[in-house]
Amino acid sequence: MFRRNAGYAPCGLKKRVSPLPYLFIAPAMILFGMFTIYPFLRTIVLSFTLTNTYGNPTKFVGLRMWKRVFTSEVFWTVMGVTLKVAAINLVGTFMFALFFALLSANIVKGSKIYQTMFALPMAIASAPAAGIFVFIFRQKNGLLNSILGTTIAWQHDLRTAIWVVCFVTVWMHIGASFIFLLVGFRNVSTELLESAVLDGANNMQKIIHIMIPMASPQIFFVLFLNINSAFKSFAQIRLLTGGGPVNSTKTLIYYIYENALIKGRFETACIQAICLFLLIFIVTRIQFALEKKVVHYQ
Amino acid sequence: MINPRTKKNILSVVSYSAKLLIGLAFISPLIIGLMFSIHTEAELSQLPLRLFPKVPTLENYAKVFTDVPIFHYLKNSIIVCVVAIVSQIVFGSLAAYGFVFFKFPLKKFLWTVILSTMMIPGEVVIITNYVTVQHMGLVNTYAGLFITSLISGTSIFMMRQYYMQLPKDFKEAATLDGCGDIGFFLRIAMPLSVSTISALAIYQFIRIYNAFFWPLLVTNKDVWRTVQIGVAYLVTGDVEEYGKVIAAAMVAMTPAVIAFIFGQDYIVKGMVSSGIKG
Repeated sequence: MFRRNAGYAPCGLKKRVSPLPYLFIAPAMILFGMFTIYPFLRTIVLSFTLTNTYGNPTKFVGLRMWKRVFTSEVFWTVMGVTLKVAAINLVGTFMFALFFALLSANIVKGSKIYQTMFALPMAIASAPAAGIFVFIFRQKNGLLNSILGTTIAWQHDLRTAIWVVCFVTVWMHIGASFIFLLVGFRNVSTELLESAVLDGANNMQKIIHIMIPMASPQIFFVLFLNINSAFKSFAQIRLLTGGGPVNSTKTLIYYIYENALIKGRFETACIQAICLFLLIFIVTRIQFALEKKVVHYQ
Repeated sequence: MINPRTKKNILSVVSYSAKLLIGLAFISPLIIGLMFSIHTEAELSQLPLRLFPKVPTLENYAKVFTDVPIFHYLKNSIIVCVVAIVSQIVFGSLAAYGFVFFKFPLKKFLWTVILSTMMIPGEVVIITNYVTVQHMGLVNTYAGLFITSLISGTSIFMMRQYYMQLPKDFKEAATLDGCGDIGFFLRIAMPLSVSTISALAIYQFIRIYNAFFWPLLVTNKDVWRTVQIGVAYLVTGDVEEYGKVIAAAMVAMTPAVIAFIFGQDYIVKGMVSSGIKG
């Protein structure tokens, strides 16, 4: 490229800039500008104002609303629930995904069948999933109560509500983690495993000393992925518990929705959206750093 | 004394069956949904519940198709998906092509802008976007439903990754033959990337078809609801006939499940090559 320019373009003559490349990238840039960059900047601006119920700023108030958010007790309850849900989702999803991926690591005839089953729930949307889980967990004529002979309102009991939400969240998220881990385990070279067997390693030793260390990039990636996906989980909370009882399942994203859409407090929602961004940003930075390794390994 | 070979065969059959059973247990909510969708309403409200109905019936499905505008919801979902997917393929390919095959001033800066926008999750800006769309008068319109799904970082990344591995000779040979960039893009780069485009289309179909938060915000009339929102209102509403809700849920998940089962390899490819977003 450089050589050709040096040969043909006279020195000092500026090459005319072609508009063509800009036309290629323009639609994407405009859409990103309108629906990602602009709203993001607007969110920041609105967090320093008071807004009316249409989401328009009415008065600049500096950090006053920030202070109000951070001194509100509910906000810290919500942050606590958010982190708790993320932690449960992280542990639950990872344990099951790891177990399923180890089960499916060997390719045998027909392994695709159970492999598909382990991944399938990731294709189920929250609404139909909630349709089935409400039937399972509901108090009157619910399947779980019918089996156990109990009359517990699983979705609305202070002790159980968060577990119902997490159960459904974990169930829907296992598939994606399973796929990433499976890719990791299947990349472990068979030669390495065979030589370990020759050296007298049993299955458990193979898993602990070879497969898990070799798939560590995928493992770390999946851990951070699940923290983030828990932060973004909204539908199952809205459909199963509505954030209740007494805020026990109210996560940050649900709180944002409630403030903006139900209470019409857009500036409060904006401040909380920035908090959500910061939470996700930190986790994503780590995840991205590991993602490069994931791609490298496949 | 059992022959070691037979022993090995028995072991592999046992292990295979065990894995299948674990798989079935894992997807048991789907089996539960399927089985109870063919119970009569009377059996559903009679304890104890039995997995196998006395007389299987399709009356719940009949009710879904007559009482619930499920086909209308499906139509709305499909329209939104088609527009958004076509847009993502076209605009994503164009942008990826621009960044791979051109050198131009500010290229590095603009690529950094795209990378930075990918750090901003849709959930963070969803409320502000809702305000924007409301001001544009697009609440309860198809445009409002698909406008925020017209481009994604994932689509640009997937296409970019494909273009980067295209041999540079292709482009040089085409240029020598007098084929310009638009010609090369339309006649060579796009047709060659059909499998990447399919992966992108299936991946995005499941994402957009299953979307919940955004279509919930921008619709408040029944005629504009997508399948997910229609079913969600059945689930949270006080529906006396719960068999109908289960049947509606089964209908609503079917397109995504079919797309997943048949497009599994494509989806895995998409997920691994660009990292899962959202």
